[in-house]
Amino acid sequence: MGETAQVRAASYGQRDDDAVPGDGVLPVLPALRELLPAGGLQRGSVVTTGRWSLLCLALAAGASVAGAWCAIAGVPRLGVRAAADAGLDPGRMLLIAEPGTHWPQVMVSLLDGCELVLLRPPARPSAQVRRKLEAVIRRRGSVLVVAGDWDGAQSRLFLADQEWVGIGAGHGRLQARRVRVVADGRGAAARPRAQWLWLPGPDGSVTRLAAGEPAGADWEGEAEQARLARHGVSVGWRRELAPGELRVSSGLTAGMSAG
Amino acid sequence: MRASRGGPRRVLVVCCPDWPLDAEDSGPGARAFEQVVTMVEAFCPQVEVLRPGACALSARGPARYFGGEEALARKITEAVSSRGFACRVGVADGLFAAQLAAQAGSSGLVVAASRTSAFLAPHPVSALGSAELADLLPRLGIRTLGEFAALPAAEAGSRFGGQGALAHRLARGADRRPLALRPPSADLSVQLDFDPPVEQAEPVIFAAKALAERMHAGLAARGLTCVRVQVQAFCADGREITRLWRHDGLLSALAVAERVRWQLAGWQADQEGRDEGGRNDWRPGARGGPDGPDRPDGPDGTGAPGGESENEGIQFGGITLLRLIPDQLVRDEGRQLGLWGDAVISDRVARAAVRVQAMLGHGAVTRPILAGGREPAEQVTLVPFGDARDPLRPADRPWPGRIPAPAPATVYPVPLSAVITDDRGATVTVTGRALVSAPPARLSADGGPSLAVTSWAGPWPVTERWWDPADARRCARFQLVTDDGNAWLAVVQEGRWLIEASYD
Repeated sequence: MGETAQVRAASYGQRDDDAVPGDGVLPVLPALRELLPAGGLQRGSVVTTGRWSLLCLALAAGASVAGAWCAIAGVPRLGVRAAADAGLDPGRMLLIAEPGTHWPQVMVSLLDGCELVLLRPPARPSAQVRRKLEAVIRRRGSVLVVAGDWDGAQSRLFLADQEWVGIGAGHGRLQARRVRVVADGRGAAARPRAQWLWLPGPDGSVTRLAAGEPAGADWEGEAEQARLARHGVSVGWRRELAPGELRVSSGLTAGMSAG
Repeated sequence: MRASRGGPRRVLVVCCPDWPLDAEDSGPGARAFEQVVTMVEAFCPQVEVLRPGACALSARGPARYFGGEEALARKITEAVSSRGFACRVGVADGLFAAQLAAQAGSSGLVVAASRTSAFLAPHPVSALGSAELADLLPRLGIRTLGEFAALPAAEAGSRFGGQGALAHRLARGADRRPLALRPPSADLSVQLDFDPPVEQAEPVIFAAKALAERMHAGLAARGLTCVRVQVQAFCADGREITRLWRHDGLLSALAVAERVRWQLAGWQADQEGRDEGGRNDWRPGARGGPDGPDRPDGPDGTGAPGGESENEGIQFGGITLLRLIPDQLVRDEGRQLGLWGDAVISDRVARAAVRVQAMLGHGAVTRPILAGGREPAEQVTLVPFGDARDPLRPADRPWPGRIPAPAPATVYPVPLSAVITDDRGATVTVTGRALVSAPPARLSADGGPSLAVTSWAGPWPVTERWWDPADARRCARFQLVTDDGNAWLAVVQEGRWLIEASYD
């Protein structure tokens, strides 16, 4: 594995100058662009996302918007509405809820037909299976996003922190989630990158936290209040509120009071 | 159903009213309809399947043989009814009028040759099947087909466009489109020999798709399309399975292959039914309709539920030849893709999907359609690849009480059982007046570790479909965030807690 992986990493390294998503890259949502060294999903590569989460769908959304077909295998519990809100086009989705024991063969067919395949492997793939599928991926120029482990994946993304907004102790509702996504990988992707995102935002979409927006524990009450006033969103925090900080209020349009 | 010189074309339509209209692409219904078609075929070999649930034949020849159109209609009704299928038979000039005639009266109507336009006249314009015209014409004071037909044809064409000109033809009692009188200059049929004969249905269906692609390519090269396609399959012992399918230039290669599948499976079921004294394998409504169990159509037929696995194999020595013959060639005037699906399926994707279906079964590859509903699991309808179906619940209704956005990324097909307790360890309950016994403090999903609840919202009580005892539901929903950062959508129903979804 090692040698081929190095060769591959070197060849991908050369494409790093190509920051604008082009033929060799499947586009991703603008919010995720800076996490990936090529500015998109490198064709012929494998990307892992740790456990199954909205991050998998967010990774696929940009390509789906651009017209790619997306197959999702091994996820019987997929929330299609969330996928659609994140940007995936349900009209260009193929769902294979249970790929069964012969899932590698199923994957070969899917990778042949679809530019982007999301997989939650039913079992840990053997090195042989991985090599076979990676060969197909390289030949077809498709991209495999794995919700799980995949040794030798070119990029690895995972959710490092998450924080839900809008819900309190008995009032409010889940409105948005602020997450820190960390990306690392091999070759050019080896330098870890991190990004704060709304995953999902109040309308289910995936956006980057704006420059002025507070990230995680660094936030200041006033800045948050200003942002919330713009969005008309009420807020409740997972952690305990210190006196003088933003109070939790209920209801979407209820006003905010800064202590 | 060739166009005869002089005089209008007489068409007889057999329509089974208890076939669901959306049976178009649902396998079991289509396969069972094959039995009806076989019975109608006893009267006339040239039967055209319009859709599962309706077929048509040219009435002129058989009527002369069986002693008049009324006698023919009566005989067909009796034959089909004797096998337990409800049936209506209509005879009129042209296919459109004959379809309306089949729906008229208690069991269909025979409209005399000179009376077709008079029969059509009182029908509302909505019978034309065009939502746009059905909306527009009444607002212009044109409510019936008779009033519409009274407009000069050229005026109808210039005011309502090509669609209007076509509808005007129908309203006048003419056919949907004039037949191409020019015989095909070249043989556009395509065929494939199987040597050795193929015993399983799946390879034949797979080959049918490639054949259909070849046929479409041949037609397209000449700027033609076909109104119908004839599928012929020959068995090693000399038997021949022939069937005409409505095409109208709308069927994809995949859809043609799907019709070959129905034809083989339906014919197989029919053979068995005949061997066992007229046993009907499937009747509309008898086994839960087209949403009945999806059978894995695996190449070896294994895993199919009881007794049906042999349907997938072809007996009588296997198939030796498959031939697709385009019938009634007309000029291809293009098709409007928007009407027939939201996304164009490229052949590469279709090939991959069909190959996976061959491995895992027809129902294993699905395409989602967003639907309406309150709980997340209701908001999507999964349609097997190659089928067309409307969402179970319309998405464009308001659905008050729906779980607000953002939607959960994980929706459990079967909700997980959960234990949600307050800080003293007692299960949290919700009263009929939607009062919570105590704030939820700990959550354990599906026997997992007990997590501390950091914030929560609810209860959101829902009383759904109380008018229908079978479908009624009374529950209350909660959103909970646990200390590991995860968010859950929980529901309490009759004192039991379930996790419907999680916001992963």
